[in-house]
Amino acid sequence: MAEKRLQPKNVDLRPDRYDKRVVYEKCGRAKYISHLDLMRAMQRAIKRSKLPIWYTQGFNPHIYIMFPLTLSLGFESRVEVMDFALLEDLLDEEVLKALDAQMPEGMRIVSCSTPVHSHTEITHAEYDIRISADKTPAEMVEKFRDFMSREVIEIQKRTKKGTYKPVDIRPSLELISMETDEDHLNLKMKLPAGGGFNLNANVAAEAFLDMYGITADEICIERTKILIENGEVFC
Amino acid sequence: MEEIKNKLEKILLKATKPARYIGGEIGSVVKDRDKVDVRFAFCFPDTYDVGMSHLGMKILYGLKNQVPNWWCERVFMPEKDFETLMRENDIPLYGLESLDPIKDFDFIGFTLQYELSYNNVLQMLDLAGLPVLAKDRTSLTPLVVGGGPCVCNPEPMSDFFDLFILGEGEEVNLELLRLYEKMKPSNPTKEEFLREAVKIEGIYVPSFYDVDYNEDGTVKSITPNVPEAPARIKKRIIADFDKVYYPDSFVVPFSEIVHDRSVVEVLRGCIRGCRFCQAGFIYRPFREKNIDTIKNETKSLCEQTGYEEVSLSSLSTSDHTKINELLLSLSEYTDGENVNLALPSLRLDSFNEELLERIQAVRKSGLTFAPEAGTQRLRDVINKNITEDEIINTCKMAFEWGYTQVKLYFMMGQPTETDDDIRGIAELSDKILQLYFETPKEKRGRSVQIAVSTATFVPKPFTPFEFEPQATEEQIKHKQEILKSAVTSKKIKLSLHYSNTSVLEAVLARGDRRVCKAVYAAWKKGCYMDSWDEHFQFDKWLEAFAETGIDTAFYANRTRSYDEVAPWSHLDYLVSHEFLVRENKKAHLAQTTRNCKEGCSGCGIKPECGGVYCGGKKTST
Repeated sequence: MAEKRLQPKNVDLRPDRYDKRVVYEKCGRAKYISHLDLMRAMQRAIKRSKLPIWYTQGFNPHIYIMFPLTLSLGFESRVEVMDFALLEDLLDEEVLKALDAQMPEGMRIVSCSTPVHSHTEITHAEYDIRISADKTPAEMVEKFRDFMSREVIEIQKRTKKGTYKPVDIRPSLELISMETDEDHLNLKMKLPAGGGFNLNANVAAEAFLDMYGITADEICIERTKILIENGEVFC
Repeated sequence: MEEIKNKLEKILLKATKPARYIGGEIGSVVKDRDKVDVRFAFCFPDTYDVGMSHLGMKILYGLKNQVPNWWCERVFMPEKDFETLMRENDIPLYGLESLDPIKDFDFIGFTLQYELSYNNVLQMLDLAGLPVLAKDRTSLTPLVVGGGPCVCNPEPMSDFFDLFILGEGEEVNLELLRLYEKMKPSNPTKEEFLREAVKIEGIYVPSFYDVDYNEDGTVKSITPNVPEAPARIKKRIIADFDKVYYPDSFVVPFSEIVHDRSVVEVLRGCIRGCRFCQAGFIYRPFREKNIDTIKNETKSLCEQTGYEEVSLSSLSTSDHTKINELLLSLSEYTDGENVNLALPSLRLDSFNEELLERIQAVRKSGLTFAPEAGTQRLRDVINKNITEDEIINTCKMAFEWGYTQVKLYFMMGQPTETDDDIRGIAELSDKILQLYFETPKEKRGRSVQIAVSTATFVPKPFTPFEFEPQATEEQIKHKQEILKSAVTSKKIKLSLHYSNTSVLEAVLARGDRRVCKAVYAAWKKGCYMDSWDEHFQFDKWLEAFAETGIDTAFYANRTRSYDEVAPWSHLDYLVSHEFLVRENKKAHLAQTTRNCKEGCSGCGIKPECGGVYCGGKKTST
């Protein structure tokens, strides 16, 4: 086969790697970057930073990056996590600075460290959900109390086959706090996240709005914490 | 602008791929609006994904933004879903950097890259809140200007523009904006400004010319109506191409675009002179950059963008005089940086084993060739100087290297084409297929596919075929039937898409000013985004042509005599009319013309334009 002529481009395999984990912020204009686009943007940022990045060791070497959780399009967050690996053991501070300098508007590297927990340990995330709608905040508070008092909240979840099946999301909803301001209902919620069951904060918000026929003017969602089983923050 | 930004916040998540509409990309230039004197909206009349891939915009964007008190921003045609949202929420077309409405800018510049984007210009002006007709925009600003290859015959768009910029933009754009900056404080009228502007070489103000017609509908004369306007407007050319401005940074989009990579222009112009190819004539003469220049530009772009792929851009990269040295030198850098070097536009006859090894991408997918015609006779007619032996040898080599897919592009409806020429497409494809089966099993890939696609030939201005009629729909359908019955193997996949868009292209490419009315009428009927199959409405176009008295056959399917006054005859693209006539005559005799490297054929380009093979003093080596 002609394959015998082919060799991986990075023929000097580099098995030594130093894993790094950064926490980053994705706010403002950057909230419109989709997850797929974010991966590309991060790869390019790493490339521009000239950090000695570790590439996957195959025929198509590419920059190794991992995101334990995806952030939905339109959500903001200051607690997002990305893992990658370096060929040299650089100081965390140095890595943070180099990468932060390459972030697009709305993004910032908050911290850098060596990973402690594995991605599979993530169980929950917390969100701030801010809704303005055709109902007053007071009305919405009342409706939301009713919403949370239900025993079953069934939504139609899209399956991989493209069909819909009913799912009860009530056991997944945990309300931490509820406040109002002039125009908004402000919710703080804890929802399951990670490799197991995942509930999108937007799905939860839509389930509420649908149930009471409320038309939202704007829904702003920010992920505020990523948590592991024992309730500690992931990173 | 805060107001637009706030409105956008509420609608963006309802649009597909919203990152395209909010700016903020790495490399985008944001200035303090209070400290700039000239604001330019660079509009690409198609979607972000297409427009952001366009090299010319990257060059002119960087060029203008180099000047501290000028600010150039990017503007694209929104997809229909987002356009609807914009209109519902009273959001006028805005610049991606400032989010300010472009109707308040000094200049609105459109690049006219292909005819089917014309109506997007009207739609974008309308979305900006401006009258589409130049005569209805009476104040000095915004000045609506146009450039790009289609400007070699801008007549069908002349009602909508204040001025056109002919040829290469790197110098003339600066001259035009400098003039504006100088005159702006004295508050000139639009006419006063335009009268000064036409003194700059390459600036064409269509309203300064009167067009008269003969009884048979052809153009009789084109005459200036103001003393400042020259009788002929000459395109601009960069003589010292090695020293021309090239951006050291690109705007790096978040969403995936058509050409999502660094691009370095290695040469401009083409030595080949394929007779159907407009680019091969309007970008003459052939000029190239030095290896060091190319290498530096590659390095600085890769570093600034973080792209993992760089592509060399040109009409025919393998015609660089030092191609092997160039590729060797570049791949030294790119391999070390894990950057993939992409080489489109390599000519079939330039492949050799060493080159093929060089371009060996990590993934072995397909090889793409454009023989354009199925028989040697017809290839001679169109001056596609490539022999069957060369095609065969290259494909043989490719199969031995394990390539499994060969894409072949052909054109239908070329001058003198016969049914035998069409059958020749099938025969050639079949020969290539047989080569695969003759390749030893241990060398060749597991399966094979030959993809043959045909397009309808559209005669273009400033080519030797500008006199030729376009084949009618019936003729093309007949040819397609012949080809269909001539192809027997299932391994050969035919794509014989006939599209009415080629009729529209033909009319717009060689139309005169009267066609403006049809463009306007079609736009009024809702025609735009015509290059997108799902939006193209040929029936509406036909209505528009009928209502405005435009006979498509007159523009598309008529043989034009050599002495007919072309609608673009007042524009000088440096290639002489005599040369085009000579080439046309030779085409009908199936005689080829040597390329510039083999010897000069006297196309009319002067040595001082800096062409590598034009016999002038070389400005750089």
